[in-house]
This record gives sequence, structure tokens and C-alpha cells, in this order.
Amino acid sequence: MKKNLFTILTTLVLASVLLSACGGATPAPAATEPAATEPAATEAAATEAPAEPAAEGEKQKVVIFVGFGTGTDPDQVAAQEALAKKFNDSHEDIEMEFLIVPNEEATERFLAMVSGDNAPQLVGPHGTSTIARFKEYWEDVTPYIERDAYDMSDFYGPATTINKYPDLDAGLPLGLYPSFLFYNKDAFDAAGLDYPTHDYADTSWNLDALKEMAIQLTLDANDNTPADPDFDPSSIKQWGYGDTWTDMRGQLTMFGAPDVGRPTTDDYKTATFNAPERVFGFQWLHDGIWKDHFIPDANGQAAIDSTGADPFGSGQVAIWYSHTWFMSEALNELPFAYDIAPLFYNQDGERIARIHADLFTMPKNAENKDAAWEVMKWLVAPEQIVEVCQIYGCLPARKSSAEAYLNFLKERYPTIDHAVIFEAIDYLDNPHHESWVPEWGKVNDTLNNVLSILYSDPEADVQAVMDQGNEDLQKILDEYWANQ
Amino acid sequence: MSKLPNFALGLFRSVSGHELFIKGITTLILASGSILILIPFLYMISTSLKDPAQIRSDSASLFPRKPKMAEVNGNPEPLYAVTVDGQSHEFALVRKMPEGLGQFVDPARPDVIHELKINDQQQLYRWDIHWENYGEAIRAMPFWRYLGNTLIVTFVGMAGMLFSCSLVAYGFSRFRARWLNLLFLLLLSTIMLPSQVRLIPVYILFQRLGWVDTLLPLIVPQFFANAYDVFLLRQFFMTIPLELDDAAKIDGANPLQILLYIILPQARPALVSVGIFHFLYAWNDFYEPLIFLHSRENWTLAVGLQTFDALYTVNTHLIMAVSVLMIIPPILLFFFSQKIFTQGVVFTGIKG
Amino acid sequence: MEEESNESRREMTMPESGDFGLLKTQILMSLPSIRRMSLARREALAGYAFVIPWIIGFLIFTIGPMLASLYFSFTKYNIVDPPQWVGLANYAKAFSGIWDAIRTGDPRQFRDPLFWKALQVTIYYASIALPLNLAFSFFLAVLLNQKVRGINIWRTIYFLPSIIAGVAVTILWVRILNPRVGVLNPFLKDVLGVQSPPGWLSDPEWAIPALVMMGLWSVGGSMIIYLAGLQGVPTDLYDAAKVDGANAWQRFWNVTFPMMTPVLFYNLVLGMIATFQYFTQVYVATSNSLGGLGSPQHSTLFYNVYLYQNAFRYFDMGYASTLAWILFLIVLILTALIFRSSEAWVYYEGQLRGRG
Repeated sequence: MKKNLFTILTTLVLASVLLSACGGATPAPAATEPAATEPAATEAAATEAPAEPAAEGEKQKVVIFVGFGTGTDPDQVAAQEALAKKFNDSHEDIEMEFLIVPNEEATERFLAMVSGDNAPQLVGPHGTSTIARFKEYWEDVTPYIERDAYDMSDFYGPATTINKYPDLDAGLPLGLYPSFLFYNKDAFDAAGLDYPTHDYADTSWNLDALKEMAIQLTLDANDNTPADPDFDPSSIKQWGYGDTWTDMRGQLTMFGAPDVGRPTTDDYKTATFNAPERVFGFQWLHDGIWKDHFIPDANGQAAIDSTGADPFGSGQVAIWYSHTWFMSEALNELPFAYDIAPLFYNQDGERIARIHADLFTMPKNAENKDAAWEVMKWLVAPEQIVEVCQIYGCLPARKSSAEAYLNFLKERYPTIDHAVIFEAIDYLDNPHHESWVPEWGKVNDTLNNVLSILYSDPEADVQAVMDQGNEDLQKILDEYWANQ
Repeated sequence: MSKLPNFALGLFRSVSGHELFIKGITTLILASGSILILIPFLYMISTSLKDPAQIRSDSASLFPRKPKMAEVNGNPEPLYAVTVDGQSHEFALVRKMPEGLGQFVDPARPDVIHELKINDQQQLYRWDIHWENYGEAIRAMPFWRYLGNTLIVTFVGMAGMLFSCSLVAYGFSRFRARWLNLLFLLLLSTIMLPSQVRLIPVYILFQRLGWVDTLLPLIVPQFFANAYDVFLLRQFFMTIPLELDDAAKIDGANPLQILLYIILPQARPALVSVGIFHFLYAWNDFYEPLIFLHSRENWTLAVGLQTFDALYTVNTHLIMAVSVLMIIPPILLFFFSQKIFTQGVVFTGIKG
Repeated sequence: MEEESNESRREMTMPESGDFGLLKTQILMSLPSIRRMSLARREALAGYAFVIPWIIGFLIFTIGPMLASLYFSFTKYNIVDPPQWVGLANYAKAFSGIWDAIRTGDPRQFRDPLFWKALQVTIYYASIALPLNLAFSFFLAVLLNQKVRGINIWRTIYFLPSIIAGVAVTILWVRILNPRVGVLNPFLKDVLGVQSPPGWLSDPEWAIPALVMMGLWSVGGSMIIYLAGLQGVPTDLYDAAKVDGANAWQRFWNVTFPMMTPVLFYNLVLGMIATFQYFTQVYVATSNSLGGLGSPQHSTLFYNVYLYQNAFRYFDMGYASTLAWILFLIVLILTALIFRSSEAWVYYEGQLRGRG
């Protein structure tokens, strides 16, 4: 009887070998597949580990690890392969390759590669959060810049400072993602409202104005707004405003505490999470969710997320605060008319519009660092930067490329007001909302726990919650400094 | 049966009625439970037949459908079933107004506008099934290559697992030896350590061996038994009475022959179970292949599925299509293995 | 003593096949003590021989990484820099503050309150999920063991949920449980008349019960094992019981259940190990949610989730390894206890007496 099983299995094995042979060039393991009883240990020893140092005269290999940020969409994969080909055809001594890793597993794979002495030569494009999270992993490019006397003047000022720390300049700037409001014109029409202003100097466009507008734009199943007595919060089908694709630090940044996006003092020793401005912001958001109901709560967001759609494109959030990267995947074939507008002014008359800045970085214990530096320079060179940024949906960090990018925007997104995008850069957050703090991951998780209270607890005592969060943060900081 | 007295026959007759009742209840319970089970699957299938726009705007519906549209003044507008003056019409909604009202027009007479409450009308839909999602999903990745890789990993691994686990389980269940209990506990302890902390060392191990980016890390360890399957087989082997073993021993059989001719035939349901479990595990496993397989050509199906889930773009329709495809082989396997599975083991004439 | 006489009696009464068998019997019978030793020794060696494939695999693939992680638990290791030895500091971090916390009843007195929260969440989940899963899958298996028409189809249907990968199952269920667009709450409200159904995964009180429910949907796996076990119960036992006049319930309790205890034992041990290592479903359900992993408010901060965070979010591989080994010890002790108790309630037909 067992023999029968064996026969069946052997047949299946042979069949599967044949099948994979039909699927294209046979990978090495299929060719060496043994009969069902013998392990293939001996044959495998011949396979080489990927990133071995190249011998003299051979091409230096540069592997770019893509997966922490954007770049893993199938269309982007094809575009990146074309880009690699362009580089390889024009460079004889260096060969580059994009290693695409699904975002979910990027961290594990990267760590495994680093620990296995197989670190990729470049990592990116990724933003401030990943750079901050892995801060000890990156090579400081300052010596390279100095050695080549690289001209940094063409880059936007903020692009060079956001990812620069006193002890680390993580890489050459690639692109920026300014932020602004996306709004659903059809929803405004249905509510009989005027569209928000596009004038960055108009200071009447502030938190209160937004709140008024958003309340009118929130509809329950019977088209009542929160201002109507019959409003039913459990059946909301459209919310007025949302800013939920960011974390706690991000959401509170616009309210303008002294440290802006960083919840600690300059020396990273004291927690300032419960600064009055942030407490105000937390209260404003909390009221918006639970009192005036124009911001989706946790259930609402989960509902939207579970459809695999984004809040704005699905028509469920009328005014959506996000960055330019949102444009590249969500603004396709929308069934309604839309446009973009500046972020509103906050309660102190300031406008702080968060920004994201992407770049490629070099792991410090990778091989072929000089080759990696060449590739990095090539990617952000004026000739390529617009093409690269088009793949990833960012605004090129070079001032000289602004016009080329503007033309691209006009062609791709003809209906929106492009000036809004460029002007937003001036209002970025510094210190950045994703910038490094000690124990970055732990701080983030602690603060996100506060975030979950905000969105799921209608009865939360705002001051108490913020104070508790600050205390937890202080504890983390204290422990970090005690171990230094 | 004929030896039983008459009243017992009567007992049997009512017993059969009783059995029918039990069978009836069983079927009822099973049926109602099945609905619970099947609804999520129906969602999966229906989502796989929608396009992204439908998923975005109409994800709750079990039916892939699109709003029926009509041309009004050069623009497509959605149609609603509307009752006006007691007569039902199909009107298009051209404009949404405040307070839930909308302007409806008859496409044939666009100048006459009716203002009605939108929620009181019934939106009209037409079927819009996107069979091409499956084709698109298959073409979007090297599907057949991935399928091949998955089959290799699954079946060769299964062969290795059955081979090694039978041997090891036999050793743990049919022999007396001083250290066997301790070894068994050691075997079990290997699954008590969370795998996350072993990830880095294991990766480095395979890196040193040169097996990274091949299918070997997924296959070779199977030939050295694993705690789950050994444990299960051991339990089953221990339910098999010793009498046949002893009889064979006396006939001069060595332990290996006893394993092959006595134990394994009787443990068929258990072997099928572990086979199916291994198949499922290897078929759906994406974590290990992801870490060990670098080049996209070497990926398995489960990993390939991940490619549709980019950071910002979630191609839900493609993911569901591949997921549905991936369910089919295990279902077929399970369905057809039932025969081996359900063979009852009947002992006759062996009384201790 | 009794064994020896049983064996010798058997050997005397059973017919031998062939001359060689006869000769062997005579020789063996004439050397009682030596025979027993070499027989036992031969048996032991045979036993070890069969177990060797696993031992080799263990030495090559398993023991290295296990010892490596044990080593890491005594270090501070962020993966990119070499590990630094810190002795018992990680263990101290996990356990410090116990006395103060017990004294004052304030969880903030712990040096690492999340460690204890993770333990509490995991134990809470295990105490509900384990018994429910065991009972439910057993019940299902009994149900599916009937000779009803089309039973193969029913079995396949109930097995379906365990065919889809855990990731997909979780995504489906997150949708079903959503209070706004999911199907469960409307069902509870309209059909069962529940006034205000809970928020499930977004409500700290109900997150764990929601996960338990999700797990029950996929009991197909353990159900099959029970099915296989039920198939293995010799039918003549049922016949004998029927002849003795036992009704269905008595047959179940006195024949089926005892014969199934080995399988039950298996499911109990592995179920316990699995519930303590519960990870994938929570990860999928909460990693993209508002509060991140463990939300809402740490109510789903399972032990393995916390471990994962330390390893791959905080890059504190040393502490993560420490957590892993603490869990290892807990599970090891519990398993040993279950094994010890098994002698009282598990019945093996083919159990060897006098195990060394």
C-alpha cells in the first residue's frame, strides 16, 4: 500500500518537474531534483551566495532594495526594470538591479540580508520614517559629497535638511511629496457649498472654516448632516474630512507645537508630547470624531479600508488630506470631479503642511559602496530625476526639474490646480513628523496607542490621555539615556 | 440477527426510525452550518469577478454589478426605477441636491425634471462579471513557473516528510529505550520556541550552505522529520494493538518489515491526514519562501500573490482571483482522498 | 516476571513456522537472562535507529539557531552591529518590578508593563480558545462521521476554511466583523434582536472573543484528525456494545471517547503550543489598523506580537530572544504537566508496558 503511495508521489514529482520545465528556463533546483528519497545537500553546495565581491575586471553589482516605500506595484516594477537597463547599457563597470520585495516583509528580508553579510548596496526609495527607524544602518554620504565636490545647490533647501542629522547625512535627495487637501467637487455641489480657496495667503481658511464646511459635507444614510436633529452617526455614508493615512505624530503636527513634528526637546531628553498645542489638536480631532461626527472613527476607517479602496476615491470622505504620492495610485478614473486646495491655517494662524522626502540610502556594511554612490548620483542626476520621480510619484528635489515635472502633471492630471502642489513646499514641518527620536519604533507604537484611544473611545479624557502618553514617552527616553 | 427474539426485532425497527431521525437532524445542522462557512467564500469569488471600481464603490454586494447608465445630454448618468404618478419609469439621476433630493429625468425627454428623494428610489444595476480578472492575474505573474515551484516544494517535501516521519514516529511508539522519552520531549520542544527569533540564525545557516535563493531550504529539512507530524503519527501508531506486531515478530519479521506491512497499512487515515496537512502548509506558506527566495523566478504561488499587494495599490480583484485558483487543488486533493481516509479498520479474530 | 512467563507461554503455544523458528525458540528459551538483556538492548538500538533521521536534522538545522537565540537573549543585539554581552539584564527587564506591582496593584510599577500585558492577553485567549476549539472540532467530527448521504461533500465544505491561507481568512473576517459594513452585526440586530452588538475588533473588551470566533471557523484542521481517529475505532467494539444493549450516548462515552483520547491528547498539546504562539491572524488583523499591532489599546497584544515588535520594529533582538525563551520555558512546563497527567486519562490500545 505504501508502495502505491510512493508511486503516486513519484509520478507527481516527475509531473511537477516537467511542468516547471515548461514554464520557462528551469531554475537550478528543478534540474537537480533527486528521487524522492535522497536529500540534495551535496549538489547545493555549489550554488554561490549572491553578493560576493566581484573579481578584478568584473562588473560591480549594485542591488537596490525596493520595498520599504513605493515601487512594488507591478507597473512600477516594469518601469524600474527599464530604468536598470538604461543604466546598465551606459555603464560598463557597474551593473545595477532592482530587488523588489513586498512591503509587508521588507523589514524581515532586509534584516536577514544584512545579518547574512548580504546587504543590498542601496535601499529605497524610502522616506524619513524608514531612515529614522534604521538610523544605525546607514552610511553617512557626507564624505562622498565632499570627495566629489558634489553640487547640492540645485536641490530644494528642505529636501537636503529633512533627512540630515548632525551625525548622518543619509543620502542625496530624490523627491518630495508636499501635502494638500483633495476635495470632492461633486460632494460640494450636492451640499451647495463653495469650493475651498486656492489662495495660500487667505488666512480665513482655517480650522473653524474647515469644520463648518466638513459638517455640511457629512451625510448619513438619509442625507442628514450632523447639524440636523435626525442625524444618525451609525449610518454615516460620507464624512466631511479625513487625515487618517498617517500616525499620531503626523496628525498632531499641523497644530504647531514648538517642536512641531517631534514630541521631544532638541536634546531628545524631555518628552513634550502633551504640549498645549497638541492637547488642543487632540481635542479638536476628538470632537470632530465623536461630537460633530465629520471625521471617521476607527470603525468607519476599518470599513473603508476593508473594501480595499481609499477613503477619497471611494467617495466616502469629501475632503482628504494627503500627499502627492496619493495621486499616483488613487486618482485614476474617479467617478466624480475633484481638485486640490491648500491646507488650512491652524488655531495660531500658522500653516504647517507636512511633507515627505524620499531618497536612496546605503547600508553601511554593504559591499561596493563606491559603485553604489555612482548609482545614487545617476538616479538623482538632472537627466534621470524626472523619469525616476515619475515612477515613484514624487516631485523631483531639483529646482531645475520643476518645469519638466509640471508638464508631466499637466498631462497626467489636467484638471487640478498644479500651483497648489509647488507652493505647499514652503510650509513643511521642521522638525519633521517622522524624524529620528531615540527608540523610534517604541515611541511610535506608544504614540499610536494614544491614537487608537482617540479614534475608538468617545469618552476619553483628552488631557489625561495626553499626559499619560507623555509619561510613557518620558519613560522610554529615560531608559534610553540610562543605557547610553 | 435472525437469532434475536421477536421483541428485539421490533426494537430494531424503531431503531432504524431513530437513526433516520438522527441523520435528519445531522443533515439539518450541517446544512445551516455550511451557509455560515460558505458565505465568506462567496464573497471571495464575487470579489474576484469585480473590477477595482466596483470593489471601491460597491464592495458589499455579492453580485458583480455595475449601475445601469443612460446617456443624457452627452453624459452617462445612473438609472433608477422611479414611481411617478403611480407609474413606474426608468429615470436617470442627473444632479444631486441638498437634503437628499435629486433631479431625475427621462432620458428620452431630458427637459422635464422631476425632483425626488434619492433614497426612495431603487438604483438599477446590470450584471458586470469580469472573468478576465483570472486571465489578467495569471498573466501578471509567471503563474505556471510559480505553480511548478509550488508543486515541487509541496510534493517532494511531502514525500520526504512521510518517509522520515513514519520512521521516527515508529521509533518513538514501538520501542522501549531509556532515552526515548527524553528525545521525544526534545522533539516537541523544538516547536515551543517562537520562530521569529530563529529567523536570522536560520537565514545565516542557509546562507553559509549556499542554499539561499534556491528551493532547498523549503524541501531538505522535510526529509528529517518534524515535530507535528511525528507526534500525530506516534499517537496513531500507539492506538494500533500490539497483537499483530507480536504475531509478525514471532514469524521472524524485523522491525522495518513490521512497520511496512503491519503498521503503515493500518495507519492509512493518519498518513493521509499528515499528507494533506503538509500539502496545505507548503501550498500556502509564504513567509519562509519569501525570506529564502530572492529572485522572482524562484517564488512560489503564495509569495507571488503578495506582489499584487503593493504599498499603495491593493489589487484586491487580482488577489482574490489567484486566491480562488489556489483553493482548487487542495479541495480536489481532499475530496478524492476521502476514500482512503474513510476506510474503517476492522479487526476480526484477534482477541488477547 | 509475569511478562517473561507470558511471552514464554505464547511462544510455546503459538506454532512455529519452519525449522529455524523452532531452533530459535529452543535456543532462546534456554538462555533466559541473556535473552532478555540482548532483546531489550536490541529493541532499544532499533528504536534509536528509527529516530536517527530526526536527530541528524535536529543537529544540522535546529540546534544551531536555537542555541544562537539563547545566546542572543544574554546580549544587546540590533542586528547591524555585533552583539554585546549584557548577562541577565534582559531577563531582569522582563521581571523587574514584580514585588512593587503586586504590593501597590499598579501595573505601571513593572519595569516592562507590556510584557505582563502580553502574558495576560495570551493566557486569556488560550483559556477560552483552547477548550472551545477542542470541543467544537470534536463535535463536528462526530457529526461528520455519520453515514449520511453526501457526507463527503459536507466534509469538504467544513474543511474549506482551513484550506485558505490564514492571511486571507483574517482579511475576510475583519470585513465580516466590521460594525459598519460587515454582515455579522446586522444579522445580530435584525435576526437575533441584539440591541447594540459589540464593536468586535475595535472594542478592547470584544477583540479577543472576535479572534476566538475567527479561529472556530477554521477548525477543519483538527476536525480531520478527529475524523481519522474516529475511523480508526474498531467497529467490532461498537458491535459488542450494541449487543450489550448500549444506546448511542453510552456507546459514545464508553467506546468512542476513550479510543479518541490519544487524538485528544495530541490536539490538546499542540493546541496549547499554538495558542501561546498565536501570531499571524493578529498581525494581519491589526498591523494596518489605527493603533497598529495590538490595538485597540493593547487588547490584542499577544505575546508573539510583542516579541515580533521587539525583534523587527525596535530592533532589540536580544530582548526578543529573551522573551522567546521565557515563553519556551512556560510552554515546556505546561506540556510536561499535560504529559504527566496523560497517564490518568489517555488510553492507548497499542501502548507498550514498562517503558524505560
